[in-house]
Amino acid sequence: MYGFEAMTFNIHGGYLEAIVRGYRSGLLTAADYNNLCQCETLDDIKMHLSATEYGPYLQNEPSPLHTTTIVEKCTLKLVDEYKHMLCQATEPLSTFLEYITYGHMIDNVVLIVTGTLHERDVQELLEKCHPLGMFDSIASLAVAQNMRELYRLVLVDTPLAPYFSECITSEDLDDMNIEIMRNTLYKAYLEDFYRFCQKLGGATAEIMSDLLAFEADRRAVNITINSIGTELTRDDRRKLYSNFGLLYPYGHEELAVCEDIDQVRAAMEKYPPYQSIFSRLSYGESQMLDKAFYEEEVKRLCLAFEQQFHYAVFFAYMRLREQEIRNLMWISECVAQNQKSRVHDSVVFIF
Amino acid sequence: MEVQEERQSFDDGDEDPKEEQPEVVEELQQKLQEVELGGRDAKVLRFLDSVDDYLTLIESLSSTLRQGWLELASARHSMGASRISTVLLDLKVHSAATSLHVDYGDSVEGRPHFTLCKWVSSKNRKCSPEDENHRENKLHPQLRYRGNLQLHEETLPQDRATHKVDDQVEKERKKSLSVFGALVSPKLRAAQLTFEGALETLVEIANMRAAMLSAFDQVQKELGGTQG
Repeated sequence: MYGFEAMTFNIHGGYLEAIVRGYRSGLLTAADYNNLCQCETLDDIKMHLSATEYGPYLQNEPSPLHTTTIVEKCTLKLVDEYKHMLCQATEPLSTFLEYITYGHMIDNVVLIVTGTLHERDVQELLEKCHPLGMFDSIASLAVAQNMRELYRLVLVDTPLAPYFSECITSEDLDDMNIEIMRNTLYKAYLEDFYRFCQKLGGATAEIMSDLLAFEADRRAVNITINSIGTELTRDDRRKLYSNFGLLYPYGHEELAVCEDIDQVRAAMEKYPPYQSIFSRLSYGESQMLDKAFYEEEVKRLCLAFEQQFHYAVFFAYMRLREQEIRNLMWISECVAQNQKSRVHDSVVFIF
Repeated sequence: MEVQEERQSFDDGDEDPKEEQPEVVEELQQKLQEVELGGRDAKVLRFLDSVDDYLTLIESLSSTLRQGWLELASARHSMGASRISTVLLDLKVHSAATSLHVDYGDSVEGRPHFTLCKWVSSKNRKCSPEDENHRENKLHPQLRYRGNLQLHEETLPQDRATHKVDDQVEKERKKSLSVFGALVSPKLRAAQLTFEGALETLVEIANMRAAMLSAFDQVQKELGGTQG
């Protein structure tokens, strides 16, 4: 026990904690995944999912199904559950729940800006946005020519406004600027979320610090690997890493100068939690790194449910559902492409 | 007997056949086949060989495309569906990075020859040296090892040009992927390379099909001549 949360938490958070634990019991099990992995067609997947909590969302979908339809409908379920929790929440839980969606908001902003740069129709782009990241003035993003206009016309009235201070320039938006904007915004968001959780204190601060630090470290590794062989300079790469996490600051210094996956491995193996992740990969290989990170993340998220009277269960539930939707997407793609032998390449079992 | 003598003289020849030009060797081998088997049978064999090569290439294409689609799905799984989506493709007018040239000029037996010019702007119509060397190797696969050695000796003085071409190709590759963002997953790059390989196989299939149809025409003419 960190404080006297057991005495006061249930006054405002007890109902929603019970709700989220109920939602958690609806996550797909290993038996469900085994059935899904044996499906021959997407209609079979729909049939198996009809016996789960996704049933009502898929039952009216006509054949032939598409993988994007399955992902879309499963995401709608997550959105409905989130909205139910948000409308029942009081402060500071409501702010905590809103923080969970800012990552999707950033992705939506980048999607609209990139699509507009490529002369795509705004309505088409809005249909592809994540529903958890929508806000009122999102369509106006198509008008902006540079980041200063983006901020002044649209984002100043959104929760992302404070994160823009580090990336406001008058340069015209291009692919590299947009990528740097994406990562700078996400860095600022993670650091803000981290500070918010620290202010909450107690079990929430303890558990969320661990989860957010892992997220920051994983992003640092992904940024490093994805920027190898690109125009991104070492200094620019270093600026995209968050200022917290297990790798901060010495791990970041090493990652900033890495030129290949083996150097990344050498830098990460100095940290015991990541040594176990990289030990599962062979030298020069990065294909299974995503799965290894997802597995570690799922392990930490499941552990969040072992304690009571904290908000990290809400964060953990949302992330576990997103992982489940990723699993369903991968299984659907393997079934649709008749590549069932590869289905276990990326499925991460939650239970 | 005649056939055996000719084969012996061929084997005892002063010159090692591997040192002769590839076209001459191929011609000699074809002549040998024709002498051994008779003209009609050689043409039928050539046709059947081209059918076999064609079917092998079709199978190779199918497997390459399967791998490419799965790698693309894997990249979407890794980066997220919003980062790899058709809505991000660029609709602005821009020149094609890769083009296909059809050459009827110096064709053998009237068949067209297809050449892929990869990662070359349409403003610069000439294919890169890399593609021309690749084409030579494809035309003479049985001497591929030998051909590469010769190529290596010949291009040593041209290393700078080769590196420049490689850099240009790499730059064009990254530019085409930049619609999905400047920092993309290695899985997406792998998918790009796989689909690039599939495109090359498609061009080989087109050339092989042209060769197959030409061989079939010759067989038909032979059969028509015999019946007449």
